[in-house]
Amino acid sequence: MSYSTFTLDSVKTEFQLEIDVPTDLFCDVAPVAPSAHLKTELERNVPVALAIGTEKAKSEMIVGDVLLELREHFDRQISLFSGIDFNVDDEKGLTGVCDFLISLSPVSFVLEVPIIVLVEAKKDDLLEGIGQCVAEMIAAQQFNVERANSIPYIYGVSTTGADWRFLKLDGQKLQIDTEFYSIHGCDKILGILASMVEQKA
Amino acid sequence: MAYSNFTLETVRKEFQLETVQSIGIFGNVPPVSPREHFTSDLAKKVSVASAVNTEKARSELIVVDVLFELLEHFNQRISLFSGIEFNVDVEEGLTGVCDFLISKSPDQLSLEAPVIILVEAKKEDLTAGLGQCVAEMLAAQRYNAEKGNDIPRIYGTTTSGTDWRFLKLEELKLHIDTAPYQIVQCDKILGILVSMVKQQV
Repeated sequence: MSYSTFTLDSVKTEFQLEIDVPTDLFCDVAPVAPSAHLKTELERNVPVALAIGTEKAKSEMIVGDVLLELREHFDRQISLFSGIDFNVDDEKGLTGVCDFLISLSPVSFVLEVPIIVLVEAKKDDLLEGIGQCVAEMIAAQQFNVERANSIPYIYGVSTTGADWRFLKLDGQKLQIDTEFYSIHGCDKILGILASMVEQKA
Repeated sequence: MAYSNFTLETVRKEFQLETVQSIGIFGNVPPVSPREHFTSDLAKKVSVASAVNTEKARSELIVVDVLFELLEHFNQRISLFSGIEFNVDVEEGLTGVCDFLISKSPDQLSLEAPVIILVEAKKEDLTAGLGQCVAEMLAAQRYNAEKGNDIPRIYGTTTSGTDWRFLKLEELKLHIDTAPYQIVQCDKILGILVSMVKQQV
C-alpha cells in the first residue's frame, strides 16, 4: 500500500472520514494578483504544457511556477518540496512520493513541521488524484501531531495544471470543493493557496 | 529492455559505437546571453532545487527553464517535449520515456522529425545517465532516418540542472565532452544548446 493505491472510497472507509461537498468552500477567498513575471511565464508555458499533455510537463511548466510564486508571496518564509519521499506510517499505507508539499517552515533541506498543503498533479483526471491526495493529507496531519505541531487544518490540491480542485481536512472531516478553478483565473488560485498557508480558508 | 536499462558500456557494445572522449569539444562555442530576468529568476530556482534535491525538482525548476529559454531564442520554431514516450525499436530496447526532447519541427502537439537533442535529468550522478541518454540518441537517429529526415548529428545532455554534460553522435561515432558545465555559466550552456539546434558544433 502507498498513497497512490488509495481511492476516495477506500481512504474514506479506512480512516473513517466524514465527507462534505460544499459548493462554495473557497468562493469568498480574496484573489492575489500574480506578479508580472508569473503572468509572462504562464502565457508562455501553459500552451506548451497543454500541448505536450504529460503529467511531467504540466507539473514543471505550470504547477511548479505557481507554487514558487506562492513562496515569494510569503517572502520565502514557507518551503516548497517536490517529488520527495514522505513515509509516515507503513502499516496504514501512508507512504510514497508526494508531487508537491508545502511546509510553513522556511527550511527546505529537510522536511519540517508543520506541513499544510499537499498537491497531487494528474495528467487529465482531477478525480483520480483525490484519494491519493487525501491519504497524503492524513499522513501530514499525523506527521504534524507526532512532532507536536498540531495545526487545525490540512489542505490539499488535485490539479492538471489547467484545472485546480481544492480540499480541506479538519480532524476527520473532509471537505471537497465541488467547484474547480482554471489556471486562467490564476489570481483566485493564488488567493486560495495563500489563505491556506494563513489557515484562513 | 528500455532506455533506462542501458549503461554506457552496454550501449556501446550493443550498437558498436566508437567512443571519443575529449575535453572541451563544445568549449569554443560562442555563449548566448539569456534574457534579462532569466538569470535572477534562475538563481532563486537553483537554490530551491538544490535544497530539495530530487530529480523532479531539478527538472522542473532548472532544466525546463533553460530549455524554454532555448525555445525563445528560436522564437518557438523548435518544439520541446517533456516526459513523452518515445518508442522506436522494441527489439533493440529503444523504448521508454524521455525526460526532455527537442525537435526542429515547430509542431508542439505531436512529435515530428527531426529530433535533435535528448536530455536526461539526473538527481546527482551525470555519469549514471550517460548510457540512457546515448540509447535515446540512437533511437532519435533511427527515428529521423525512418521519417526520411537524415540529419548528420544528434546531440544529448545529461544534467542535474546545476551541472550539464554534453554528447554528440555522428553515425556510430560518439563524442563525450568530459568537462561538465555549471549552471553559473548559463550563457555557455545556452550557447552550446543553440549551436546544437543549428547543427554547428
